[in-house]
Amino acid sequence: MSILEFEGVRKTYRVGDQEIHALDGINLRIEEGEFLAIIGPSGSGKSTLMHLLGCLDTPTEGRMSVCGTDLSRASADELARMRNREIGFVFQSFNLLPRLDVVSNIELPLTYSGIPARERRKRATEAARRVGLGDRLANRPTQLSGGQCQRVAIARALVNNPRIVFGDEPTGNLDSATGRNILEIFKELHASGKTIILVTHDSSIASQAGRVIELRDGRIAREERS
Amino acid sequence: MSILVALQIGLGEIFAHKFRSFLSMLGVVLGVSSLIATMALTRGIEEGTRFFMQQVGGLELVKVVPKEASSEMFEFSNLSPGLTLRDAHSLRESASLISHISPEITLSMSVSCGDGGNAERRKARGIWPDHFVIGMHGLAAGRWLVDLDVERGTRSAVIGHTVADQLWPGTPAADIVGRTILLDQTPFEVVGVLPLYERDEDTRARQLGQKPRKYRWDPFLQKNEAVLIPFSTMFHEFRSGAFPEDSMDSLKLDILTVKVGDLNHFRPTLGQIRSVLDLSHRGVDDYDLETREDWFDRVEASVRAARLSGGLISAISLIVGGIGIMNIMLASISERIREFGIRLAVGARPRDIFWQILVESMLISLLGGLLGIVASLGLIEVLKMISPTENVPVLTADGIIFSVAFAIVAGLLSGLYPATKAAQLDPITALRYE
Repeated sequence: MSILEFEGVRKTYRVGDQEIHALDGINLRIEEGEFLAIIGPSGSGKSTLMHLLGCLDTPTEGRMSVCGTDLSRASADELARMRNREIGFVFQSFNLLPRLDVVSNIELPLTYSGIPARERRKRATEAARRVGLGDRLANRPTQLSGGQCQRVAIARALVNNPRIVFGDEPTGNLDSATGRNILEIFKELHASGKTIILVTHDSSIASQAGRVIELRDGRIAREERS
Repeated sequence: MSILVALQIGLGEIFAHKFRSFLSMLGVVLGVSSLIATMALTRGIEEGTRFFMQQVGGLELVKVVPKEASSEMFEFSNLSPGLTLRDAHSLRESASLISHISPEITLSMSVSCGDGGNAERRKARGIWPDHFVIGMHGLAAGRWLVDLDVERGTRSAVIGHTVADQLWPGTPAADIVGRTILLDQTPFEVVGVLPLYERDEDTRARQLGQKPRKYRWDPFLQKNEAVLIPFSTMFHEFRSGAFPEDSMDSLKLDILTVKVGDLNHFRPTLGQIRSVLDLSHRGVDDYDLETREDWFDRVEASVRAARLSGGLISAISLIVGGIGIMNIMLASISERIREFGIRLAVGARPRDIFWQILVESMLISLLGGLLGIVASLGLIEVLKMISPTENVPVLTADGIIFSVAFAIVAGLLSGLYPATKAAQLDPITALRYE
């Protein structure tokens, strides 16, 4: 069974009297362990697609299943549980909590899965070491460089050992050298068996992926496997 | 998310904005401290009133006073012998629910030292020894009148402090016992002297050498100016001459005081007194039972009213405090929308966000409540300095518990709306929020 299955997925927004079809019939299967890149111009619906794939939202129409669970009509709690256990997010703007130190930021998903404090700390410290930040645990995000912040975000995405890791323009706010470093980490994760999905408009990043999907006007316009 | 995590997040948030948190607590601090102080104050008034009630004889005291028969009964009124010593005897024998009884006749007479000096007109009262129990008297020196005094009609007298001080200024009570006083030229031996009855604040004023305040009505006046002699002596020495045809038993009394044995049987006791008296008065309603119930009820009602209005004002300030918290929480959540977005993205459920906000606002009100307790301690000290001694504020545990509980409820209620609002956030919108 595929880890992500979309069948005839539509997402429609109403703005006043107008209906906007952000996604207009998406059929997509992603197998476990794939490295997928989603590209497309702005307004093509790639963010909406990522939000659905990432269980931040449910489709207006169609069927979507994640990790074998049908989430087409899932409640907010079911979506939250899926995000917590099976999905890790890495955002362009890092999205760390500025008031928490590095290790507390990494712990965040664990606090919502009912794991005791000692275990949380242990696993967060491990995740920080894995991205090379074992010595910055007590720092605040404001004391870190952009690349380090993104490593914290990756550690946070990994701490609950999810099967899918999303990157939403993960290198967009970084200089090219740091961006390459971050991309290397994603590649390592892929090598270790995670399903990686990157949303980007940088073709050089997309070219690293095993499969590229190009969106246009809410439909899959082109698909490429390398 | 466990409560512990919510508490941790809440505390972190509160301490990250110390001044803002303090401002939002301020209303609760004021509300709680004024609520505790009000409760302490009304409690003080209540206890002062209780003490005062006890001093004047308490609820157990019932007075039987003669009155004119009602107009319907008027033509029968000479069938009744009126309130007499016989009533006192029959009540003592038949009314089992009363514990003490004393008849009383009062005569105004000149009171002077044995040599006739320092004469002054005072009211002397002929009584039975039960009077000392009914009136809750103490003794500064000497002894009370006893049954033997009444049986033999001895010329013994117990006098109040003011009387003793006026007759022999500055002489200690112990030295006065055994001296002779003249009541309308008849010599009596002073066998006992009552202590000085006064309010605490007067004691303090006296010790500081200030002049005591004048009262419109001094509850202790009657006790301090007492001249008490045995009932039989009063009759034989002062009344039998005036009305030689009267026997002592048919002598009309000025008043008959009774102490109820058990307050739980207050009403049955009154009934018993009535049935005994109705029999001897042949049904003529020429007497009245005066109880302090109505008066005590009125006093209690006014204490309750004071407590209610004080509590209400403080409760309003607590509600205002709660609104303050709500205000700050609303401002705080709109500042933290992105934070909630991040929390939702990593797997927080809407209810986790809800609890986070609710716990935070309850923490603010709880901390405010604790600060309020501290503030109330200071407030009560100030109140103690300015309030009269017998009404001194009394800090009570229930006052504190009630106020803090009220504060937490205020925090809970004021957190509900912001928490609901935060829990309704859409994760995508929240994440995009700048």
